[in-house]
Amino acid sequence: MKKNKTELFETIYHKHRPMILQMCLGFVKGDKHIANDLLQEVFISVWKNLERFRGASTYKTWIYRITVNTCLTHIKKEQKVKTYAISEIEQQSSEDASEKTTNPNIQRLYKAIGQLKKIDRLIIMMVLENQDYDSISEIMGISPINVRVKIHRIKKRLETILKSNNDDE
Amino acid sequence: MNSEFNKLQSGWESNKKEINLSNDGLDVMYLKIREKEKENYFFYYGTIAILLTTLIVISLFFYYLAPVKETLSRIGVALMISGLIFRIIIEMISIYKAKQINNIDNILKTTENSFNFHAFRKKIHQIIAPTIIVLYTIGFYIITPEFSLYIKFWNLVLMDVSYVVIAIILFLIIRKGVHKEMQKLADILELKKDIIE
Repeated sequence: MKKNKTELFETIYHKHRPMILQMCLGFVKGDKHIANDLLQEVFISVWKNLERFRGASTYKTWIYRITVNTCLTHIKKEQKVKTYAISEIEQQSSEDASEKTTNPNIQRLYKAIGQLKKIDRLIIMMVLENQDYDSISEIMGISPINVRVKIHRIKKRLETILKSNNDDE
Repeated sequence: MNSEFNKLQSGWESNKKEINLSNDGLDVMYLKIREKEKENYFFYYGTIAILLTTLIVISLFFYYLAPVKETLSRIGVALMISGLIFRIIIEMISIYKAKQINNIDNILKTTENSFNFHAFRKKIHQIIAPTIIVLYTIGFYIITPEFSLYIKFWNLVLMDVSYVVIAIILFLIIRKGVHKEMQKLADILELKKDIIE
């Protein structure tokens, strides 16, 4: 059983890691350091719950649920106020800058997605991942009609943000 | 709008291929999983272990070292011990509610479970914990008259005053806990609104 679990976990890890990391990166505006932490959290949850997977949805949909929930839990941690010495902040900022992805187009997209509401970021990234409305509705726990309306609104908002960001540059 | 979005989608896909090239760290992942399992175990059962130890120490103290004889003192001991037992039960319910929050549920359900958990935690901090502390304090002080027969006056004063200091610290911790839970509840409510609207 343990061997089967390990094999299954490793298959899921190799197959879905890029998709999860990309979503985490989009959620945290391209910060690799935080995105990697989130990625680890997601796979810890996958490992913990693997035996509870009942096959009611695909592994992909199941993993999306874990990823979205993990990212949203991250909000609570993010909001914890920490005080640092100025030197610490400067050091951290330079480390963060070096950790960010280098592709300018995707960085622009991450920046634009980062300007959306947290839940909207995750929904639009599922659309970018080609998830259909029914899957997104199942992941979110809301009706497909509601999902459709939301996506339309988010796409419009994203377009406005991208235009405004391009004008600023 | 659709052609613009298709461009974004293709950029998104090509970046994922780059991510795929830097595939690493299964060993690190297994290490993190083991660390997290230990952390979770402490998170869930740490408080219960501390409370149980306190309960055992206090029970042994009153059974072997200071078996009080007067009815009032016995009521005091009962208040102190039952308060601790009640606190342990509450902590168990809290663990149960925390375990209801599961990342494999849909987002709305997880949000609702998180709300229930934090609402319960708020109730613990706001009502249950202060009630238990008040009962414990009453219990502590009504033992004092019988203790005064065996302990020097100044030692008794020191004991009672130090308890006041501890009570003030506990009050501040509880107040901080209430504020924290209220903030979390407000965040979750906002998130739920964003999900539904």
